[in-house]
Amino acid sequence: MTTAAPTAQNRSPLHKYWVILSTRTQEDMTYRFNYVFGAIFRFLPLVTMIFLWYAVYMGRNMAPINGMSFKDMIVYNALMYIARGFSSVPGTMNDISKDIKDGLLNRYLIKPMDYFGYQVMYRLAHKLVFWYIALLTFPFVFWFMSASGHYFTHWPTLWEALAFLASLVIAFCVGIQFCFMIGNLAFWFLEISTFLFVVMMLEFFLSGQLIPLNILPQWMHQFLFLSPFSYEGYWPCVILMGKVPQDQLLPVLGRGVLWVGVFYAAVRVMWRMGLKRYSAVGG
Amino acid sequence: MAEFSKYLKLTGLMMKNCLVREMQFKANFVVRLFTETMWLVMQFIYISVMYGQTGQIAGWNMWEMVVLAGTNHVIAQLFEALFYDNCMRLIDQIRQGDLDFNLIKPINTQFLVSLRYTDYASIVNSSIGIGIILFALGKLGLGITLGGVVLFAALVANSILIYYSILFILSVWTFWIGRSNNLMELYWQFGQFSRYPGEIYPWLLRRLLQTLIPMLIVSNVPAGVLIHKLQTGLIFYGFTLGVVFLALTAWIWQRGLQRYRSASS
Repeated sequence: MTTAAPTAQNRSPLHKYWVILSTRTQEDMTYRFNYVFGAIFRFLPLVTMIFLWYAVYMGRNMAPINGMSFKDMIVYNALMYIARGFSSVPGTMNDISKDIKDGLLNRYLIKPMDYFGYQVMYRLAHKLVFWYIALLTFPFVFWFMSASGHYFTHWPTLWEALAFLASLVIAFCVGIQFCFMIGNLAFWFLEISTFLFVVMMLEFFLSGQLIPLNILPQWMHQFLFLSPFSYEGYWPCVILMGKVPQDQLLPVLGRGVLWVGVFYAAVRVMWRMGLKRYSAVGG
Repeated sequence: MAEFSKYLKLTGLMMKNCLVREMQFKANFVVRLFTETMWLVMQFIYISVMYGQTGQIAGWNMWEMVVLAGTNHVIAQLFEALFYDNCMRLIDQIRQGDLDFNLIKPINTQFLVSLRYTDYASIVNSSIGIGIILFALGKLGLGITLGGVVLFAALVANSILIYYSILFILSVWTFWIGRSNNLMELYWQFGQFSRYPGEIYPWLLRRLLQTLIPMLIVSNVPAGVLIHKLQTGLIFYGFTLGVVFLALTAWIWQRGLQRYRSASS
């Protein structure tokens, strides 16, 4: 018997991941007002940030801090919203550690798919809906900033724009793989919620979300700029702002790709070792 | 008077009941203390990086800013200890019709739903804030008088009530829109405004944050008392605002109850 529709046999093995992505996206879209609300109010901290840093710069007669002018500082904080929109995947660490601890992993293990492939699709769906809504609000915020304060003083070159896009992909990969790694720790430790909190704090600081990494003390730079966390926030921002010389763009991105590889390998190794210890409680 | 002592006794009983429950999870206290301290360290790093660049921010020096951060911490923690969970639970109760069980009790329902649960870890956490304030006052070389302490405590209590009023009103919104979990996010977003001196904001925004969304009154006024940076007028204004907001909650609560549809039956 032949039918026009593709059967389960002749579908691409990747088809199942497409199904996960599309169902998850539809599911998230049901709650899109949840996102609309978040997309508007998430910018409130930026308001405080602008006035606070303005007061700081006023105190030093608007002199730049390590090459960061007042406008740079504000643009950096605004661009951070874009970078974190790619690198932060809230709930991932918790969900994975819960799946492992409570034995919920069983229901994924028996399915002919890769658990992390499933997780990537799940989170990607979330990001798609996030950006669908964000594309309605972010441009307005950026337009308003540009019209009211002329904050954007640098028009990125083609190379910077391309490197920026690449850095966002790296941001997502580093962000999600890091969550996988930490989530995997649940194979060895039963209670990791405190640890998760500490890790998220460190991420918050080392990614440059709290303070631009380049205005921190000089002796920390070497470490901060090489750390994988800098790819979750700092690098996308400074690349688009034109703070990275053109001949440095490739090396910077290269190191980012290297970190993605290292993280990927670590996740796989931990997964293999972890599964051997996995006791499938409650199964 | 008998009425008052009844409410007082009931408050004591509810708090005791929660303490018994919490004592089963003693490690939780240590964990919460640790995580909150981490969060404060982050804030301190942020403040010290800014003051590494300039000696004064909008007329405030570093240790004055630390007093403000400590005050803010005390208020936020005590508010979360007494009211935050209760407001969150209230939303679900209204939506799922579970409010019935509270409505039938012979006691003011707003009182009951607002104070039912106490989060003791947050109370312990607020003590770190007090430690920070004392340390910073020491650095500033400022003494504290008994009168100052009493006024500070009264203003802190007043600020907690203002916070409560805002969050309670946001929760009660559920009577009208059916679901307001998202609105609760506003609490965390508004909280941003109370962390820094009001002087950094332009006139219009500052007035807005002193009236409609009084985030500057809740933190700046009590901290101002400790560092002698305040006009008496604002103290009176702060207390008045507290009374007005509290009255508003009672009024909105009554209006909301009229829209309550109970459970699905």
